[in-house]
Amino acid sequence: MKLFWRIGLVGQLLLIAVAVICADLLVNSVLFESARRYSLQQEDAAWLAENTALSHRIMDRTAPAERSAMARALTTERFALEWSPRAASPPPTVTLPTLRRQMLTAEPSLRTVSFDVRLRPLALGGLIDGSTQLSDGSVINFRYRKHVPWTLNLGQSLSIVLPSLLLLVIAWRVVRAMLRPLATLVAASRQVGTRQPRHIPEAGGGDVRQLIQAFNTMQERIHQLMVSRTQTMLAIAHDFRTPLARLQLRIDAADMDTALRHEIGSDIVEMDHLLQSLQTFIESGSDNSPRRRLDLAVTIQTLVSQETDLGNRASYHGPDHCEMSVRPVAFRRIMTNLVRNAVTYAGNAEVSLAPHGTGVTITVEDDGPGIPAGQLDEVLRPFTRLDSSRARNTTGMGLGLAIVDTLVKAEHGTLVLANRPTGGLRVTLDLPGEFGAEGQSEGQAG
Amino acid sequence: MTSQTILLVEDEPTLRNLVARALREYGYNVRAAATGAEMWAMLENEGADLIVLDIMLPGTSGIDLLRRLRQTSKVPVIIASARGAEEDRIVGLEIGADDYLAKPFSVRELIARVGAVLRRRDGGDADGNAPSQEQISFDGWSLSPTKRELYSPSGGVVDLTGAEFDLLSVFLSLPQRVIGRERLIELSRTRVGDSSDRSVDVLVSRLRRKISLEEQAAPIKTVRGVGYIFTAEVRRA
Repeated sequence: MKLFWRIGLVGQLLLIAVAVICADLLVNSVLFESARRYSLQQEDAAWLAENTALSHRIMDRTAPAERSAMARALTTERFALEWSPRAASPPPTVTLPTLRRQMLTAEPSLRTVSFDVRLRPLALGGLIDGSTQLSDGSVINFRYRKHVPWTLNLGQSLSIVLPSLLLLVIAWRVVRAMLRPLATLVAASRQVGTRQPRHIPEAGGGDVRQLIQAFNTMQERIHQLMVSRTQTMLAIAHDFRTPLARLQLRIDAADMDTALRHEIGSDIVEMDHLLQSLQTFIESGSDNSPRRRLDLAVTIQTLVSQETDLGNRASYHGPDHCEMSVRPVAFRRIMTNLVRNAVTYAGNAEVSLAPHGTGVTITVEDDGPGIPAGQLDEVLRPFTRLDSSRARNTTGMGLGLAIVDTLVKAEHGTLVLANRPTGGLRVTLDLPGEFGAEGQSEGQAG
Repeated sequence: MTSQTILLVEDEPTLRNLVARALREYGYNVRAAATGAEMWAMLENEGADLIVLDIMLPGTSGIDLLRRLRQTSKVPVIIASARGAEEDRIVGLEIGADDYLAKPFSVRELIARVGAVLRRRDGGDADGNAPSQEQISFDGWSLSPTKRELYSPSGGVVDLTGAEFDLLSVFLSLPQRVIGRERLIELSRTRVGDSSDRSVDVLVSRLRRKISLEEQAAPIKTVRGVGYIFTAEVRRA
């Protein structure tokens, strides 16, 4: 069986065809063999032989024009006759040589007649029939209405049904065995790039095995690419900070105009923020930190009060406390980016939180210009910046909402951006809360 | 007061010189090391009042260095990192760093943090040096000084700003005692960078809101005209 799976699809199909043909041959030879040995009770064979010889003799003497009528007249319940002017080639069926010999023994006069006896196809009733040839070349077909033993009939049916049945069973098994690894493959390919590559065990036919092998190699390569991309980005972020740190310390030490120092200082801060958001974006896809219980309401209140301390308009509506199992760093990042976005682009942020079931719905609304309807999806993509006039003075790489989107997905939540009917943007964040027992146990005390 | 000695461990020569110069300008005695091995040698010979440690040193990572250092010494450590990851800060503080400085930093930030950590070490607190590993609890709430985290009675993390955390720490170190507003401001200002110019009353009211539950009001009472008193029983374990 193992070998069978290794030979590839074409080989498998060939093997299956050979198997089916063999089965067909086997069934047929068994059928022919039993037909060859088939005989009637001595008296039945004699009766059949006598009737055959008799009808042959009568019909031979009857004028051709009346033969049909004569055949009908001679037909009895057990023995039906039919005349046809030309010898039709007999339908493909099984001859019964033993029975023929029996009949010849019982009625030696038949030796001079050209005749044969056959097993009628099941579709025509499954009886014995035969034909004799008259002297002018026309033919009498006769039918002997006696039940044929079930073994013969079964053999006949098997010879038709069995190969198909066999084919069906084999095909079903092969296809199923082939599709199972394919289904695994489909599921795995949906996950490529979203997590550690998981090696798929090679199973199924040779071609499928090759496909799985290629897939494993591919996902390993993709993973390596992503890892090296991440490492490159992190290395860049890291290596840029050292010269930035030197620059900062140099201007602090330099004897220079205070305003100029301040400007250079804010350039350094901006570069640092760009590196920071790049780093957060890269790392947001691979946050494996454990879930812990976090008071979401307090986290939001803390962010809001930090904004108001900076003189920005921000407010929070909702319960004072609302604990849920989340990744704290991710949740803080999500809320920071949403609140900062609202304050930066619209000038205010109104945050509200409403618990529902095990989860929460959080909305962040602002009174700003909103986002053009066609671009609501676009802003979730990395490096997207809506370069309208309002954003001219803002900085960033357009990663804020992309980071939020990635993190929300990692929390199994949903993020919806919509323009409010009264103007401004509304971001609705829905977090489902508990995912089974995970995280609950980690809710700290140590 | 004799000038305090700071041991600076930084592998990048130019940055090392710049930081050393900045610290010297503010009156500190600076010894600079490029590697962990140099750090150990200097610590052995002369000791230090504070170590500023770069976490990405060649050879040994600064984190390992700090872990080994903490086995034998309580000398205050500020870690400096160019990695900028939140996890680094948490890990650093967890294994016993006193503060964390993200590169790039300004001279003002450096001096302020160095000063704050040294003050905290010399401060009136009985247990002095590095933040204690112990857990402080009151009314079912608990506070981890090392992780700088507050946990609710149901075990959830409750975010505090740096200033709020310092304020709560002051309350927890002086329970059942009336603390004057001036003293409160003074004591909670050991940390820098946070909104220390916010009025202490605003900070107290925010803190109260965070540690009050429906069934249990926050244990911070106003003493009219004087200051505040923390009324709950404080346990250290």
